[in-house]
Amino acid sequence: MNNTELWQAALGEIELSISKANFSTWFKNTTILSRENGKVVIGVPNGFAKEWLENKYNTYIFRALRNFQEDIKEISCTIYSSDQSPKSSEAKSVDSVAQGLGAAKNIDNPYAYTPQASTVTQTSYAQKAYENNINHRYTFENFIIGENNELARAACYAVSQNLGKVYNPLFIYGGVGLGKTHLLQSIGNEVLEKDPAKRIKYITSERFANELIDSIRNQTVNDFKATYSAIDLLIIDDVQFLAGKEKTQIEFFHIFNALYQINKQIVISSDRPPKAIATLEDRLRSRFEGGMIADIGKPDLETRMAILKTKATEKNFYLDEEALRFIAENVKNNIRELEGALNRIIAACEFNNKLPTLKFVQQALSEIISAGKKKGIQAQHVIEAVSQYFNIPTKELIEKGRKKEISYARQIAMYIMRTELNASYPGIGSQFGGRDHTTAMHAYEKVSKDIENNEKVKEDVAILREKIYAV
Amino acid sequence: MKVTCTQENFKKAIYSTERVVGKQITLPILENILIETDNGMLKISATNLEIGVFLKIGAKIEQEGEITVPARLLSNFVNNFPASSTVSLTVIDQTLHIESGSSKAQIKGLMAHDFPIIPEMAGSFLFSLPAQDMKDALPRLISCVSLDSTRPELTGLNMVLAKDEIRLAATDSFRLAEAIVTLKKEDPSVYDLFFEKTSSIIVPQTTFSEVLRVINPETQDIKIGIEESQIFFQIDNVRIVSRLINGRYPEYRQIIPQQFATKVVLEKNDVLRAVKIAGIFTNSKAGEIEFSVNLEQKVLKIQSKAEEVGENQSIISAKIEGPEQSALFNPRYMVDGLQTIATPRLALLMNSNSSPAVLRMVQGENNEEISSFTYIIMPIKN
Repeated sequence: MNNTELWQAALGEIELSISKANFSTWFKNTTILSRENGKVVIGVPNGFAKEWLENKYNTYIFRALRNFQEDIKEISCTIYSSDQSPKSSEAKSVDSVAQGLGAAKNIDNPYAYTPQASTVTQTSYAQKAYENNINHRYTFENFIIGENNELARAACYAVSQNLGKVYNPLFIYGGVGLGKTHLLQSIGNEVLEKDPAKRIKYITSERFANELIDSIRNQTVNDFKATYSAIDLLIIDDVQFLAGKEKTQIEFFHIFNALYQINKQIVISSDRPPKAIATLEDRLRSRFEGGMIADIGKPDLETRMAILKTKATEKNFYLDEEALRFIAENVKNNIRELEGALNRIIAACEFNNKLPTLKFVQQALSEIISAGKKKGIQAQHVIEAVSQYFNIPTKELIEKGRKKEISYARQIAMYIMRTELNASYPGIGSQFGGRDHTTAMHAYEKVSKDIENNEKVKEDVAILREKIYAV
Repeated sequence: MKVTCTQENFKKAIYSTERVVGKQITLPILENILIETDNGMLKISATNLEIGVFLKIGAKIEQEGEITVPARLLSNFVNNFPASSTVSLTVIDQTLHIESGSSKAQIKGLMAHDFPIIPEMAGSFLFSLPAQDMKDALPRLISCVSLDSTRPELTGLNMVLAKDEIRLAATDSFRLAEAIVTLKKEDPSVYDLFFEKTSSIIVPQTTFSEVLRVINPETQDIKIGIEESQIFFQIDNVRIVSRLINGRYPEYRQIIPQQFATKVVLEKNDVLRAVKIAGIFTNSKAGEIEFSVNLEQKVLKIQSKAEEVGENQSIISAKIEGPEQSALFNPRYMVDGLQTIATPRLALLMNSNSSPAVLRMVQGENNEEISSFTYIIMPIKN
């Protein structure tokens, strides 16, 4: 690893531990200037960054660098300027002194680089350097509870209060960007807060596999096993990536058993329930299912609003209720998207120097929101998708049949046309063999109501929507 | 925190720091002023990560503490304080309770430990400059600084250290101003060693604007230290830290002619009026006015002409030494130059219609030039 690669890698890790604003403020234009005998000199653009990195972020930097280079003992910062050669001036105006000035000889500027490094030594890090991959940003306090994640959160909290005794293993699953990692990390933080001496390891299954491969290559498999067997709390994120990696699964199985037998806590997350992970060894699956399984669903409108509010406050950004509601109503799928939308608005406001009024927010998000709705989807696609999904011939769907299954499918189709294509009621009616517009209205209202009360209807609509957009 | 101090000191402290705040939405704490107790004093700091300012004022400290509060809010409040001799500050739960005379306020703050650390000087000050001289010189220079961010080195003032003086220069490549200020060394051996290594630095214009703001009529000296691409100023009890601009400043001295063929001594107000009038009769932006020196009539003619507007001519009596000259100038730059002149009369020095012209102040019976300040303006070539 050369210096640039090492610093990039370290920055990648630091970025996770601190807020984005802090990261971009303090780590912009930094670089590793030299690395010798375990001493790393970091070049920073100004005195403020130097003070800050040395006094506030030294542990983060140290830890991040140690992750990649174990032999690093000392880091120091020095002010350094990347030598930007002044652009040759273009004297556009006739009355330009520039020609005279431009011809001037270059003089040496010894300011360009004056290393006067002050050093921070290793001793203070010895303890903290223990690598657990826990990010302090994620805690139970800042996790927003909604109906969708109550169970998962309660289970995680219970586990953090009672390691290895209540739910072991704990299996959390849910879609992307819904807060699995947050919950998992919160357990780690909570445990560490209560007892900093506890040995905790948070690792993604992919990283786990890589470490195992490395250890096989370096013939240190036994060390690898030993490290893992000595852990009080093992958190494996995104375990679905173990699927298909047989050797890794076997090793994981052994580690799992070793920990489980001595009542050490194991927490696992995945994007789907154990049953649905194909090519997961049966013995692992049965073990996963033996503990507690909790799912995290998509957040409802109120939860989304609460999340938005918290995020906005965190970023010190004010949004009125209307604008919040607009974002929450339109960005539904996951929390990461929600955060993205908020960031976009903040950036747009900053850029245009405007207040985030409802109108401005609508404008700023128009791209994101309309991006979900693919252009060129026709009523025909909807009808085809519905007929395929319910296994009802298109003809029957359009014709006068009044069988319950058919009319249900027809109503769903009408509802989707209305919500996704913004079709007019009379237009929808005419698509279905010249039905009256009131029929379409009734269908829309009925399905809208059923979605609220009936899980099955909700699921049908969701799947169909995905199907249509997947064209 | 529980602190009482005089209203006058507090007001001055806020005035000196309030402008140096950042406007970054990503780091909102930069919009705040840090107020903290420090060894029996009250320390007020602000920074935008380019410049940092802090000062300490005397205060009665009952309880130590610290907080940061929005600068603009605080300064608006402080500026409208009712007449009273003291201000009391109390921090309760991240809120600053501030009270002076009949007025009370509670300002919500942010945690002080997130506030950037303002770099301190490791060594000692190198030299000091007479504050009142700087107060005269700086405004003249600042008007010439370039705003063009594609040439960052011109967005600052060049400070060239010499044995017993410093030369400050500013240019936007159309005109240039140079001031020479004598310096007082703090420790001659250290200074001599330093200036042999480092003789030319570029200080951002905004830094000097802040320095200017802090100088009082009573201020004696400005102490200056330079370390690690940073410059430190100590003006009375105020400390200002700023980054320096990287880059090489043009060696402008080469373009200042050593000798001038023609010297024209003029009454400042007459020329200024004539140039302003001539400026009206030009095309707004690329305007040019003609200066022609007439030896026979002992006058300077200033004339301008714009196709759509009309034309104008002013004739000003002058004392002329040397041959006749005529050259075209940009009226705006000429006005700026004339406004830097603090004496009733000035000398206009010229060589030809393509070589730089110089404005200098003159004094005494013989119209001796004052060489500590020079304004150079490039003629427009036809």
